[in-house]
Amino acid sequence: MRLSDLLNKETITISLSHQDKQGVIEELLDLALKTGKINDRSVALKAIMERENLMSTGLEKGVAVPHAKSKAVDDLTTALGISKEGIDFHSADGKPSHLFFLLLAPEAAAGPNIKILAQIARLTSNPNFCEALKKASSSQEVLEIIQGEE
Amino acid sequence: MLPDGPIRKILLYVDGSEECITASQYGIALAKKTGAELMALYVVNISLLEELVKARIFVKIEEMDYAHDLEHDGERYLNYISELARSKGIEIKTELTKGVVNKVVCQKVEEWGVDLLVMGELEPVLSRTDTYHDEAELIFRKAKCSVLVVKNAGKVERIFNSIEVN
Repeated sequence: MRLSDLLNKETITISLSHQDKQGVIEELLDLALKTGKINDRSVALKAIMERENLMSTGLEKGVAVPHAKSKAVDDLTTALGISKEGIDFHSADGKPSHLFFLLLAPEAAAGPNIKILAQIARLTSNPNFCEALKKASSSQEVLEIIQGEE
Repeated sequence: MLPDGPIRKILLYVDGSEECITASQYGIALAKKTGAELMALYVVNISLLEELVKARIFVKIEEMDYAHDLEHDGERYLNYISELARSKGIEIKTELTKGVVNKVVCQKVEEWGVDLLVMGELEPVLSRTDTYHDEAELIFRKAKCSVLVVKNAGKVERIFNSIEVN
C-alpha cells in the first residue's frame, strides 16, 4: 500500500485556514471525515490529542505527522494539509510546520500503519519533495507530486 | 510421499498478510505431498519501529506499544497456521522472534537447513522509496535456498481443501 492510495483530492488542502495546533488537527480530521471511514469524530480527535500530549508530532524541517490508533476507524485513514505561511506546531526544531500528514489507524492494524508512517518519513526526508508540496497550486498537483516521488 | 526427495524442510514466511495465509496453505499441501518437515517463522520488524523513533514520529512508549501489537499479530497468525496444518494432519514447528526481518529469515534458512522457503505474493507495485525497504522482496533476493512465491489464492484454497487427512 502506498500513501497516495490513501489520499485523494478531497482529503488534501493546500491552504489550511487555522493557525493553531488544535485548529489544524480538527481541520485535518474534517478532511479525513470525507473518506467516510471515521465513525466517531470525537473519539478520533481524543486519540490524536492524547498522542500529541505525549510529545508533539511536529518534526523537523516543517513536517508534522499527527497520528493515532483509534476505535473510531476500521481502516487506515489519512489527510494532508499544507500551510504556505507555516504554523506553530511545537515542532522539534522550533520552526513553523508547513506539511501536515494526519494518519488514523484501527487498533488491529499495526503492520500497515507502521509501513505508511515509514513511507511518510522517507518521502519527507527529501527537502526537494517537501518544497514541491509547499509550492503546489492544487490538491491534484499535490497528489501527482506524491505519486511521482513514490 | 518422497521422504528423501529434494524438499525435506519447508519454511513458511509469515508476515501478517492475507497472502502469507495463502502461502501457508500451499506450503502445508506441499509438506503433505512430499513428507517434508514444516516450519513457520514470524519476525517482529524492530528495524522499522526504530526508524520511526529515529524520525521522531514515534516516542519510546509508542515503539513499545507497537512492538507488543506486532508480537500479538505474529502469535495470532502462527496459531492460525498451526491449526491449518494440524487440520490436515501435519506437524509444524513455529517461531516468533524480533529483529531485522530479512536478516533473521535468511539466518534461519541456513541454521535450520531449509530447502524451500514459501512466501506470499509480493506487492504488485512498489514505490521507488520502498523498494529497498520491502522485507519480502529482500528475502526473495537474499535467501540461500529456493524460494516459492505463491499466487492465485482461489486455486490454492481448492488445493488445500482437497487434502485428505490420513
